[in-house]
Amino acid sequence: MIRIDAARCTGCRCCEAACAFHHTGSGGRVLSRIRVVNLYEAGVDAPVVCQQCEERACLACPEDSLTIGPLGQVVVSPTLCSACGACARSCPIGAVEIVDGIPFVCDLCGGEPRCVTACTQEAIAFVPGAGGTTSLAPFAEGSARVSPSVKRARFARALGSAVRAGWGVSRG
Amino acid sequence: MADRVFGYGGRVLRVDLTARRFEIEPLDPRWMKDVVGGRAANTKRLVEDLDPASDPLGPGNVLIFGVGPLTGTILPASAYFTVTARSPLTGILGDSAAGGHFGPEMKLAGFDQIVVTGCADSLLYLLITDDGVRFVPCPELAGRDVVQTTAAIREAHGDWDIQVAAIGVAGENRVRFAALVSSGNRVNGRAGMGAVMGAKRLKAIAVRGSRPVRIHDPLGLADQVRAVHRAILDHPEYEKRRRLGTTMLMQDLNRIGILPTRHFQEGLCAYVDEVSGERLASAYKVKNKSCYNCHVHCSRYYVCEGIEAEGPEFETLCGFTSRIGNRSLPFALEMNRTLNQYGMDSLAVCEIVGWLMECQEKGLVDPADVDGLRVSWGDCDSVRRLVELVAHRRGIGDALAEGATRFSKRFSEAAQKLVMQVKGLDIICGDPRGIKGYGLTYAVASRGADHLRAEPYFELTGRWEVARRRFGTEKAADRLAEEGKAALVTYSEKIALLTDSLTMCKNVGLCMDVVDLERAAGLLTAATGVKYTADALDRHFAEAVQRDFRLNRAFGVTRRDDTLPERFLREPLAEGPTRGSVVDLPRMLDDYYRLHEE
Repeated sequence: MIRIDAARCTGCRCCEAACAFHHTGSGGRVLSRIRVVNLYEAGVDAPVVCQQCEERACLACPEDSLTIGPLGQVVVSPTLCSACGACARSCPIGAVEIVDGIPFVCDLCGGEPRCVTACTQEAIAFVPGAGGTTSLAPFAEGSARVSPSVKRARFARALGSAVRAGWGVSRG
Repeated sequence: MADRVFGYGGRVLRVDLTARRFEIEPLDPRWMKDVVGGRAANTKRLVEDLDPASDPLGPGNVLIFGVGPLTGTILPASAYFTVTARSPLTGILGDSAAGGHFGPEMKLAGFDQIVVTGCADSLLYLLITDDGVRFVPCPELAGRDVVQTTAAIREAHGDWDIQVAAIGVAGENRVRFAALVSSGNRVNGRAGMGAVMGAKRLKAIAVRGSRPVRIHDPLGLADQVRAVHRAILDHPEYEKRRRLGTTMLMQDLNRIGILPTRHFQEGLCAYVDEVSGERLASAYKVKNKSCYNCHVHCSRYYVCEGIEAEGPEFETLCGFTSRIGNRSLPFALEMNRTLNQYGMDSLAVCEIVGWLMECQEKGLVDPADVDGLRVSWGDCDSVRRLVELVAHRRGIGDALAEGATRFSKRFSEAAQKLVMQVKGLDIICGDPRGIKGYGLTYAVASRGADHLRAEPYFELTGRWEVARRRFGTEKAADRLAEEGKAALVTYSEKIALLTDSLTMCKNVGLCMDVVDLERAAGLLTAATGVKYTADALDRHFAEAVQRDFRLNRAFGVTRRDDTLPERFLREPLAEGPTRGSVVDLPRMLDDYYRLHEE
């Protein structure tokens, strides 16, 4: 999985640019499977990406189009997927989003995640074999009713309050 | 040429605030080719669309937001967007650029330019998404700062990917040097672009798009970007810039005796260690901050005595420490936050403060002439009050909100001469007596006293051999020499336009010297599919420099306006490594005009 250290994130989004470009040859946040939230009001920046969580809520796919690959990554079958959006709704942190008629979710670039290489701040790290160790249950409540963007912001705020505690401030 | 090229968003958004109507027109690649994008494209649009007689604060002014073909791509440090209009501060060409995340988002919305005309009848913001453009009335946002405005707009639309460029209370009050601010703390500060927004009753532009930036030759672009990347990461200044950003200049300029101190009366600051970038980094910095896709992470977030914000950049740090005789770093950090909340250009404000301090010290301005306001060097309480008055145009603040140059007209010629400005734009924090190329740049720059039109940083690098090769004399690399500086500035103004058109950061693109015309031609060709050469870019940018000058002539600027405050021409500094030096401007100007007539 990709471990996030929000305290080190500067909000540069180099990870997004590298991810989008590696997968598509194009530029732009919208094609990235890792998304950075910049909470300017709290001074916090946080990358949000699939945490290979214990619950794997996204697998509740009506078409059975999502499976787990050898690296613990979510694998999407474009053949079976009907782009119904159930996976995006069920992910508690907005790490799955339907883009151009297919779920976009981290595939670990086959074991060499480009976002990690692009991060000169060491705010993200690839930890092989660490899948299934993180629980996202605290973020599940009400998550089906809000957009992935709002869910990412909630998750970022939770990571951010720990970061801010480290600065000796509490607001935000 | 093909009608559709890669790299660009491919569309121009035109907004008429009076009629509350918008139009989306396709970008004509032929129109764009010789200006590339960003600043040069904005100026071309302004020349075509603006009646030069328009009141800068009236509905006729044309406010243009522009990005370029590489904005939002994998090219590092290319997140800038430029805002252009006729300046309400100077009455001439006005523009100001900022990094952050707004520019790339504007590109994702599919726009290379947003052109705003007219004037709304009440405060509103534009919401630009894939579904079109909405005019959203926002009386509840009046008086709110940018961070609050951004959070409120994101909350209202349930979308935290929205990027917002907004004005604060100063822009709403048409303070002539009001700024617009985006990404929390990234500021388009110069020339009063925030006042133009305020006059149009445009509180903010909020943008969110999902049109990826398509690249003509992705692998070719990736190869060239790797080279740029290497040049940044291997640069000898990389670690220092990452730690301190532009605040490194406090010590660097003091070391050579040109750190503006007590309103340019001195070039050495005895207490620089207490207010330096190093001090900020060790005492108050909690993390690095960064613009989109930049590996330098040169910005900083700080927490200091209950105040937290991003920044400050060097100009604000120097402007509210040595330049006004203040040795309290916490006060400068407080002012950085306050000015960004109100949305005001820190240079215009610190010039008002420094000028008043010097004039009161010399007895040229009596406190009775300024509503009883007394300001002496480093008097934080008075500065705090003054800033408050100006932002809200209260009391004497109403007159001061016209800017130091206009305000000084009430006083003697001796007092007027002490305003450190050219063409009505307040001078940056760098004493030109010890950096002659900068002196020439301040004098000729098309938006007034400013370094960013050329940024001849080269003269501080001691690269004698390169100087001989590029400019025909080693002296071009000698900061105290006049010789070779016209050639340096003529070259640098094209590279500055290049970085502005690639929407690259000048600290990276120019000061770290990671792009030249050759490399840019390669990057542009790979991204757009249109064949660019270094020679063609050189010609295009030389023409763009001339376009600026022609436009300013239409605004009444003449060569007599290409000058510097008398202090820099006649009064040598008394101490330090720049002792005894003044700027021999006529000599550099002769060379400069000759090079521009060829």
